[in-house]
Amino acid sequence: MLEFVKILSILILLSAFVLMGNKRINSYIETFRAQSLLIALMAGINGIIMLKTEGRFDLLAVCVLILVLKVIYIPGLLHRTYAHVKYEVEKDFILNIPILISVCSALVVFTYFCLRTLSSIIPNSIILQLVNSVSVIWIGLFFMISRKKAIGQIIGFLVIENGLFVTTMLGTEGMPFIVDLGLFIDLITAILIMGILVFRINDQFDSIDTDQLNKLKG
Amino acid sequence: MGFILPIIPVITVLLLFLTRKSFLQHIINLLASGLLVIGALLLTYKVVNEGSIRYGFLGGIFYVDALSVIVLDIVIIIGLVTSIYSVGYLQEEIRQEKIRPGQIKRYYLLMYSFIFTMVMALTVNNLGLMWIAIEATTLASAFLVGFDNNKYALEAAWKYVIICSVGIAIAFLGIILFYLSARGVLSESAALDWVALYENAKSLQSPVLRLAFIFILVGFGTKAGLAPMHTWLPDAHSQAPSPISALLSGVLLNSAMYGIIRALTIVNCNLENNIFTGRVLLAIGILSILTAAIFIMTQRDYKRLLAYSSIEHMGIIAVAMGVFTPLAVFGGLLHMINHSLTKSMLFLSAGNILQKFNTMQISKIKGVLKILPFSGTAFLLGLFAIAGTPPFSIFSSEINIIVALFSGGSIWIGVVLVLLLAVVFAGIVASLFRMFYGEREQETLQPGEINKVGTGAIVVLLIAITLGGLFMPSYVIELIYQAQGLILGI
Repeated sequence: MLEFVKILSILILLSAFVLMGNKRINSYIETFRAQSLLIALMAGINGIIMLKTEGRFDLLAVCVLILVLKVIYIPGLLHRTYAHVKYEVEKDFILNIPILISVCSALVVFTYFCLRTLSSIIPNSIILQLVNSVSVIWIGLFFMISRKKAIGQIIGFLVIENGLFVTTMLGTEGMPFIVDLGLFIDLITAILIMGILVFRINDQFDSIDTDQLNKLKG
Repeated sequence: MGFILPIIPVITVLLLFLTRKSFLQHIINLLASGLLVIGALLLTYKVVNEGSIRYGFLGGIFYVDALSVIVLDIVIIIGLVTSIYSVGYLQEEIRQEKIRPGQIKRYYLLMYSFIFTMVMALTVNNLGLMWIAIEATTLASAFLVGFDNNKYALEAAWKYVIICSVGIAIAFLGIILFYLSARGVLSESAALDWVALYENAKSLQSPVLRLAFIFILVGFGTKAGLAPMHTWLPDAHSQAPSPISALLSGVLLNSAMYGIIRALTIVNCNLENNIFTGRVLLAIGILSILTAAIFIMTQRDYKRLLAYSSIEHMGIIAVAMGVFTPLAVFGGLLHMINHSLTKSMLFLSAGNILQKFNTMQISKIKGVLKILPFSGTAFLLGLFAIAGTPPFSIFSSEINIIVALFSGGSIWIGVVLVLLLAVVFAGIVASLFRMFYGEREQETLQPGEINKVGTGAIVVLLIAITLGGLFMPSYVIELIYQAQGLILGI
């Protein structure tokens, strides 16, 4: 079972790289959906292990929540938002994709060196998985910087959340359930608010290009 | 009482949903904030006499002590003042046809959700839940920042949501590391508990804790408006409706600072000194003050100027916490209270000026003292107060912090701080004082206050900050001493 978790953590990291290489907003959303599915699988496997050893349902409940929210609801919501604010396909990123991918690789190496300090308290095999998940956070952050469209930034935020969630799961064997639940409520509200703001920005600026948000300075 | 406080805003929100008439909504608003103040005062009384209070139900997640009560009282008192001010402010906005009457309900709904999230953040003892509440403050206030729904407000709201959500996400990484540092020391359910972490601080893993502190400082520092993560703050503060700016600046920043102080306490207790946290906090604090000083010098928009001044004062509090001597911590906590009262008063008077003159440009405003005799005077005196002139209360807390710096051996930092404060003072005088005198060339505005009740609230705040600089009630001192003991671990 644990072998699966290792493979999944690598696949999640890879999905972040794939996201970085995407060019269209529709493919961002689909990559995000795939990544969330991988995370749901991971939560499911860990949940089954937890159920067997400790008899707790927490992680399985979280797995269902991820499936409903991050695999089905949020991607659907983003697709609908995008359909409403459709604009002509144009280049959405600042640097070209090979450079972006190289920066991402550098981020992974950087994370590896940062997390080596933890080796006194966490077994090495888990540290390597943590490197994968913490890298996802940084890649998500970098994705937000590298994309100009508002929806790209929302996806970046979601990927950061995904990375945080995997880090929590691997590093702490799950937070207390109430914290997980609160996290999800916050996440869904944040996405709804950002979605509404995208609509309004589109109304006011006739575009969702965040480069146009440059009125307030100094 | 601690658990009743979060319930009041929830009931208020439910009641507001049911009402249609704006008159009733104003009444509910005033009643709710009044009740909150009564609850908070009773709670404060209990804490001063009995120390920390823990409530048994819901898994014991509610906990208050002197430190949380100080910030909680600030939240609720500023909440009362802004809710009184909001009544007149909203009526005037409707009269000027800037908002529709239906929007009053939305305003109050969001405002009380905002207050609810802040009260929650200050009354829970679980790091994870506190994080959730602080993230929720961003979400609840996002539409308040974008309330005017024009290009500027939307830009501010978008920046606010994105930057603060990402910042807070980084703080969550810090919280995960906190949890990791308690591995093997605390049971799973207690590993995010303030009290448990604090009591077992000495046996936590130091390297992880250091890493955790950096992440928490960056994360909550984003919300507290510390440079270089402050970029959302001037936009959000200048574009939000003025009472909301007062809440953001006077209350929200302190709630985030509270999170940093809690983490700081545990880390310092673990490392048994403040060398590590002190260096980081002093650096980030001085950088914030420097950034603010530069932007204040060149500012053309008075609400943005006030926002940068908030960054400056958060920097001063960070410096005080970095020094970590009893005097500095005392000064820092006092500065929190004084800054909130003064800054919210300034934002409220700026709101009156904005409604009268309909511009945020300093250069387009002349003769404020003639046209708005009361709020103009309050604004002028408030500017002196915020720049640290005696006899106002900010002077007394700033002098505490500066003395602590010099007597604590950080002489050069003290010198830099004093110099920067002088620059800020000069900047405020140079950019803002031309607003007060002179005649307007074109059409003349009718002299006279618009929001009379709100102006009354401003005057009360002005009296409070003036008296606060001259003497302090003994129970306030007692409360600050208790909180200081909690922070220093004595």
